Amino acid sequence: MLLLQNITLVQFKNSLHSSFVFGERIVGICGNNGVGKTNLLDAIYYLCFTKSYFSKTDVQNVRFGSKGFRIEGNFVRNEKSEKIVCVLRENGRKECSVNDEAYIKFSAHIGRLPCVMVAPDDVEIITGGSEERRKFLDYTLSQLDPAYLQALMDYNRILQQRNYLLRTFADSPHRDMNLLDVLSQQLLEPGNRVYESRNELLEFFLPIVRELYETIAGSGERLEISYQSQLQTDSFENLLRKSRDKDILLQRTQIGIHRDDLQFTLNGENFKNIASQGQRKSLLFALKLAEFQILLKHNGFAPILLLDDVFEKLDDNRMRNLLHRICVENNGQIFITDTHCERLKETLEQLQVRHQIIELEAQ
Amino acid sequence: MIFSSTILENAVNEFARLPGIGKKTALRLVLHLIKQSPAEVQQFTEAIDRMKKEIRFCSRCNNISDTEVCNICSDRSRKSETICVVESLRDVIAIESTQQYNGLYHVLGGIISPLDGIGPDQLNIDSLLRRIKEEKPEELIFALSPNIQGDTTIYYIQKKLQDKPLRITTIARGIAFGGELEYADEMTLARSISNRQPVDNYMSNNK
Repeated sequence: MLLLQNITLVQFKNSLHSSFVFGERIVGICGNNGVGKTNLLDAIYYLCFTKSYFSKTDVQNVRFGSKGFRIEGNFVRNEKSEKIVCVLRENGRKECSVNDEAYIKFSAHIGRLPCVMVAPDDVEIITGGSEERRKFLDYTLSQLDPAYLQALMDYNRILQQRNYLLRTFADSPHRDMNLLDVLSQQLLEPGNRVYESRNELLEFFLPIVRELYETIAGSGERLEISYQSQLQTDSFENLLRKSRDKDILLQRTQIGIHRDDLQFTLNGENFKNIASQGQRKSLLFALKLAEFQILLKHNGFAPILLLDDVFEKLDDNRMRNLLHRICVENNGQIFITDTHCERLKETLEQLQVRHQIIELEAQ
Repeated sequence: MIFSSTILENAVNEFARLPGIGKKTALRLVLHLIKQSPAEVQQFTEAIDRMKKEIRFCSRCNNISDTEVCNICSDRSRKSETICVVESLRDVIAIESTQQYNGLYHVLGGIISPLDGIGPDQLNIDSLLRRIKEEKPEELIFALSPNIQGDTTIYYIQKKLQDKPLRITTIARGIAFGGELEYADEMTLARSISNRQPVDNYMSNNK
């Protein structure tokens, strides 16, 4: 069981200082645009991942005109209380601690407090570039297996070194092929590790996504999802060796798990091109709920679910089915935001589950 | 900071350029020197001046030295069959302090990291390869930082030595002595388990 009991935000995004106490498992957050609904969800996300879901740099998370921020939350995880604090100091140094013990590596925290966020911009996973889909896979896998995250970080660091070396080759007459080979060799272990983990996950992940999609979309649409990796055609070692000259010419590493992708097809056609808004959103929910289910199975308790502005996405009927599935059929903690307080209250009441409504007002 | 004297200001600024020294500390050091006798300050500046002018790098191992060949390399009682490859002088000092190593050193002057503009050419790798050819040591011990760049450096040099009859080893990686298991990070612990040691071996090493 994982529950967040309270949270305090200081100078995080648009909040100066605000505290919230969560007494129920289902928490509805409503208020007009710009009052900080999404920021509250993001603060919760921050405590789980030591980073924001939305902003790339921590400077963007600081309230305008202030320096530094602090988020503190008290969780109960398997009946033990855990106080998580994340602080960005005025000098830009970041600190995160659990029960007052500071983390040396933030990556060690990932997976301890499993969490799934669904936000409007997430349709990018379906419509955007392959990077978005890899990111989705990586966040899921990192929460399941810390060694995956380590392999991925190692891979990216070596890849950066290799690409930088390839760039220096362009304007240097002396090319150190030995060094290039060493870096290629170093890529193999973490690269293969990531590939195997992705393969292993997707084998049982994809059928869950397909099943969920059918339930949500509720029609006989034939959704197919496939994992695409260059490593499926040959060993990573052979592929790297074969593309060496091309890499030198293009000054970039052309082969590897950093080119992996997921392909979605609907009735045999590319999903991205033919799917309606509603279908995209159904698929998005299917992906996120599959992640939710896998984390639930792995940990033995449900991850925290953060649903940002989800009511606009689907028609009432589908939405109600979906919420019933999420809120009633499992016992995880859920945070839902909406601009319409009345609609939110009504929907949660219809579900007949104990819940709490937080009405946010402009500060 | 506002100064009444440009001479003072210059001196403070020079001190403040040193690593780990801020303006306030710099001012404290300068004021201290002002209080000292001219002879004492002379001694101080001469030491620094000589240090920069006369310090040399050992022609054999690149360690810092007063003479052409450093006192470690010229010590006849040390075993010349083993060479320990380190990143910097600081590592030599650290290993010497253990009093457990009686071989020679080779200071690379850094580790390979193309991103930081450090390639093999910027390091003392050629001189190491030459040394191995001439001195024919039996063992090369890598004592480099246990990270990706350290590994790159080890593999790179090892590749160049493939045809040499030479034992190449690296310092053990794992749980720190006196550390507590539960606080070790998972990767270190996993590595320690896969590179476990026979207890016999372990006991005799610690006698």
